[in-house]
Amino acid sequence: MAVPATKERIVEAAYALVARFGPARTSIEDVAVAAGVSRATMYRYFPGGRAELIDEVVTYEYRLFFLRLYEAISDAETLEEVMELGLRTAHRAIEDHDVLQMILRTEPEILEPALRAQSSETRELVAWFLTPYLERHELAPGVEVAQAADFLARMVLSYVGAAGRWNLDDPAQLTELVRGELLSGIVPQVPADR
Amino acid sequence: MSLAAIDKPTGSPQRGDAASKRVAIVDAALACVAARGLKATTVDDVARAAGMSRATLYRTLPGGRDDVIRAMAETELARFFSALAVAMGGAEDLEAALVAGITTTARWVQDSAAIQMMLEIEPDELLKNLSFGEMDQALAVAAGFSAPFYGRWLEHEQSLRAAEWATRIVLSYLLDEDDMIDLTDEADVHGLVARFVLPGIEALASSSRAT
Repeated sequence: MAVPATKERIVEAAYALVARFGPARTSIEDVAVAAGVSRATMYRYFPGGRAELIDEVVTYEYRLFFLRLYEAISDAETLEEVMELGLRTAHRAIEDHDVLQMILRTEPEILEPALRAQSSETRELVAWFLTPYLERHELAPGVEVAQAADFLARMVLSYVGAAGRWNLDDPAQLTELVRGELLSGIVPQVPADR
Repeated sequence: MSLAAIDKPTGSPQRGDAASKRVAIVDAALACVAARGLKATTVDDVARAAGMSRATLYRTLPGGRDDVIRAMAETELARFFSALAVAMGGAEDLEAALVAGITTTARWVQDSAAIQMMLEIEPDELLKNLSFGEMDQALAVAAGFSAPFYGRWLEHEQSLRAAEWATRIVLSYLLDEDDMIDLTDEADVHGLVARFVLPGIEALASSSRAT
């Protein structure tokens, strides 16, 4: 079926234009030309017009971001490793994401609706990703995997979004954050060497 | 605990008549936001709700709508921080301080008719202050204020980290609710803090004492 392909082509063309000119200077007409579709087709896929299209672009790049992150960190073996690698990689990817940084400087408000719509879904995704690491790890008495996965997912997303007082590029601080602050209640206090 | 540092008056000097007018304007503005949201609230609405003329409102807050919004935010923040000071100041230990800080914040958000209305009809107006760089600033303000309450049990840097962590927890559960944990419920929060948070804070505190 050609339907998803057309929609994807439109979204990709829109992302390329947003990356180059910024969201404010990306019009429905420009995207239609770049994607090689008519204006009528644009409105068939995005009846909400420009706002809906931009939302879709944000969602599209957001999913790609997590897909790339997933690929970058899925070699990690232990819970500690995957948390450290994930925080460092995601933090770097956000800082180095030129398009995201440009939008944050110029029109941060366009991110809000898409980010909010995704927040529960993202938390569940991160919790799902952490679950096997928790299952393989020795846990402190009374800690349930599902509960720990949800809590850690929330905290990972919080630190990825804003590092606060922590410097996530500093390996010593990253270790302190992950093994000290975040995991002390989850893994046994004196971790067994394995 | 003095709130002077955060309660910076906007507009005219805050004394006597001007101060009471400022409070009247702020409370009227809060009622307007609770009724129809921030975007739809005009200076005329606020003046009418405060029972004063437009001219009187502008004499008190010369910047008009922007000043009204700023005064409202500052006053609410000061009121919130004093509620937090009362709740956390009475805590007997670090665990109780964390629980008090988290539950007081969650209840404040739940009980604020203005915040609830904005979350319902115009969440972006509130949440634009809570992503990426703006979030860093919000964390710094909240942690800077609440850190002293942890100072009875922790060194300065560890207090700031504990305060920041508690703030992250509150924001996470407020912005993305789930069925398992209700942050206005003391038992839920106690379970969360005792299991996941306190051990982490203690681990950092003991490693900083060791170095």
